[in-house]
Amino acid sequence: MSEKLVLWFEEVGKDDGELVGRKCANLGEMARIGLRVPPGFALSVEAYKDFMSMTGAFDEIRKYLAKSKPKDLKQCKQASVDIRRIIQSKTVPEKIEKAIFSHYNELSRRCHTDEVAVSTRSAGLLSHPGQYETYLNVVGEPALVDKIRLVWASTFNPRSLAFRSRKKMPLESDPIGVAVQEMVKARAAGVIFTAEPNTGDSSRMIIEGNWGLGESVVGGESTPDIYILDKKSLKILEKKLGPKSRYVTFKKGGVIEKKAPPDKSGQFCLSDEEAREIGKLGKVLEKHFSEAQDVEWAVEEGKPFPESIILLQTRAEIIAQNKTPIDQIVDLMLNRFSRGVGYDGGKM
Amino acid sequence: MAAVYGVTRFEFDEEKDLENYAVFLADVVHGRPPLRPLFFIDSWGRWVYRAVQRAAEQLSLPTTKGWDARYIKGYPYLAVIETTEQEVKKREPLFRKRIRPYIEDFNAIWDERKADMMNTYKELKQRYGLKKYDDIKKLSNIELLDLFDDYMQVNRKQWDIHMEMMVPAYYLFGLFEQMCNELLGFGYTDPIFARLMAGFDSMVFRFNKEIWRLGNWAVELGFDKLFRTTKDDEVLLTKLEESEAGKKWLKGYYEFLEVHGWRTERMLDWATPSWIEKPSLGIPLIKVAITSGGTYTIEERREKAVRERREVEKEVLGRVSAEQRGWFEALMKAAQKAGYWSEDHNYYLDLYCNGVGRWITREIGRRFAEAGVIDDPEDVYFLVADEVEKALIPMGKNKLHHQVDVRKKEWQGYLKVAPKSYYGNVEMVQEILRKDPVISVATSVPIVRKDVKADLYGAASSPGVVEGIARVIVTENKLAELKSGEILVAPGTSAPWTPAFEIIKGVVTDGGGALSHAVILAREYGIPAVIGCLDATKKIKTGDRVKVDGDLGVVYILR
Repeated sequence: MSEKLVLWFEEVGKDDGELVGRKCANLGEMARIGLRVPPGFALSVEAYKDFMSMTGAFDEIRKYLAKSKPKDLKQCKQASVDIRRIIQSKTVPEKIEKAIFSHYNELSRRCHTDEVAVSTRSAGLLSHPGQYETYLNVVGEPALVDKIRLVWASTFNPRSLAFRSRKKMPLESDPIGVAVQEMVKARAAGVIFTAEPNTGDSSRMIIEGNWGLGESVVGGESTPDIYILDKKSLKILEKKLGPKSRYVTFKKGGVIEKKAPPDKSGQFCLSDEEAREIGKLGKVLEKHFSEAQDVEWAVEEGKPFPESIILLQTRAEIIAQNKTPIDQIVDLMLNRFSRGVGYDGGKM
Repeated sequence: MAAVYGVTRFEFDEEKDLENYAVFLADVVHGRPPLRPLFFIDSWGRWVYRAVQRAAEQLSLPTTKGWDARYIKGYPYLAVIETTEQEVKKREPLFRKRIRPYIEDFNAIWDERKADMMNTYKELKQRYGLKKYDDIKKLSNIELLDLFDDYMQVNRKQWDIHMEMMVPAYYLFGLFEQMCNELLGFGYTDPIFARLMAGFDSMVFRFNKEIWRLGNWAVELGFDKLFRTTKDDEVLLTKLEESEAGKKWLKGYYEFLEVHGWRTERMLDWATPSWIEKPSLGIPLIKVAITSGGTYTIEERREKAVRERREVEKEVLGRVSAEQRGWFEALMKAAQKAGYWSEDHNYYLDLYCNGVGRWITREIGRRFAEAGVIDDPEDVYFLVADEVEKALIPMGKNKLHHQVDVRKKEWQGYLKVAPKSYYGNVEMVQEILRKDPVISVATSVPIVRKDVKADLYGAASSPGVVEGIARVIVTENKLAELKSGEILVAPGTSAPWTPAFEIIKGVVTDGGGALSHAVILAREYGIPAVIGCLDATKKIKTGDRVKVDGDLGVVYILR
């Protein structure tokens, strides 16, 4: 075991996906080229493997699956409960725990606090948005180790098992990295697509945003504000006030979704200046990665513009090219009629 | 609050209703001039809104659950029943599934539905042994009562199918229009757009072709002068009876009416006669065909339209980037079918069903008048369905003169009303139109353009600028007044107006949207159109000199 278990973001770059997972590699790359990303560190894929083999979890899981291989979603659900129970029963080996703690304490020091609040997110070798669990606003060593173990365990959640089963991939293991990152006290957050995700139109960028943390936008539960930017000039071609009926904010030891007060849902969550800055950063990323990007951003509370615009992650944007034309048309219908993107009014 | 025709179902409670809905929009397309109670309450009111709600639910439309209606001062008003944000998310997955077949093959669904509908009409007639138009007189009162009720279910089915097709049609058409705008920079007023949608062989065009065939045939038989000089169409028919050639022509004309005569003068109103009932009604259109040159141009025009469409399709697809071409082409094809449907459906749905409704209710009216239930057969349209049912059996026991008098007075009062175009917050209209692209079929709000000072503002619907003498026509029976080169001003137009487009230079309407009949035909015939001006039929007088700007969507009254 020669690989490092825990690495600072700055220690990795875009070619280190195999080492720390795609998300961490891209975060490292962003930090390297001087973009504002929250400081943090990555648990390597090796750390996952070590945990699984050193604790004997891997063997137990293999035995379990040999005995009862799940065939449908219902069985996946049961297997998921059983396997995650196995993982939860294992103590994280001291060597891994030590590496985590030393990095966490150093991160807290860098953030000028005793126990910095962090997010813990999965970083798969391939990008599977939304497949694994994420834990937000994690504070203190015990909670952090617990949550990291939960992220690892989430490689056995029902949808991951069902996904691997469908793709005929091995069920017993799915090594991933974990990104541990300082929580941004976000006034507003969201995503930017540097090309129109449905049509592939690369002359426009789409920003979606809501008040509070980005989870409400990423999860798609609340209808966000939408901005359409001309990529070349960064001119705002159109903006659409979303109802934003709910938003996600901090609570002790985690986050909570709340109903938005009327004055918030009736107001744009970004100024035009902020939207253009996000667009500018999106362009930088697209150029650097040489393909359209799907970027998560946040506007940090209390920081002056433009330092307030923080990037949380970036990945290659999935453009609906591999969807059938019919699916693309349905997507467009939902976007235009249901969400009001691109509506130019009065003509119908 | 006021009950309409004694019925409380559509009462408008301004305060409460506007708490519930942001805005109510007047439906002048269907509601002007005001409809009489039997049709307004028991056909339109009973089945149309229900059908929209049903279609919205069936398709799981994310943003609307259909329309709610209020009748205000004799006019129908519509409000979109909106969904909450949570409901939107919940409805989307099912919508994805349900809308698919319409995108994949709109015509397959329509072909099945129209065959079903034609079979339903046939089956209804067969059930009561009705082969010829006059056979209905042989029915007993019991049979007539049963027929009336059975017809109501056919009417229901017709509206359900209508909305099942219309909602997806508008979604497809509306989306295509937006994407053309976004990607290629042209809207539906652009000549390119018109060419993309033109040249489909719909029932409207088959009807039109028949009219021209009958016109040419009359000329061939030497009746040119007779048609041109006989003002009274009833007299014309009697004169044709006098010769063998005339009898031959009439036989052909009546055969045409067997198929196409199930249409009332006003497309959606039982209180106007149908062509099959009153054959002279078809003569004005045949006269139009004869006087506007008599040469047969329709088929040639269609062939030219098909050729042009193919060329423009190629050109447009060439302008779309390779990665977008797949869905764009699929959407274009689906939108073309939606446009075709909007022309084709009138015959199978609105016209035929309403023609049959006229047939039955008119027979009831005839018997009522004979038995002294009412004074005049046409007074039956001032009753409501419940009263019709109770007075049919035993016939003559219940007298309904009083009900007729009261409602007639009420209706006459409505004739004088200039309806407000909306109640509530007009600023919400754009948002409403976005959430329900279908509602524009019936309503429109004038877009006042600050940059242009005009007398009427509507939607730029078919491009071009033209000046001419206006002819205001509110019902189809006055179409024969139209002279070549005039500008037609109407509340809205429907299929029976088609031949008029052969001779007019421009068209202006009170209501209607991008898929409305007037727009489709104006584009097809390449004449300027401004639709949705709301008050065009009030502000413009016959004889006024007007300038129609179909590029900007405005009309100037030059006087």
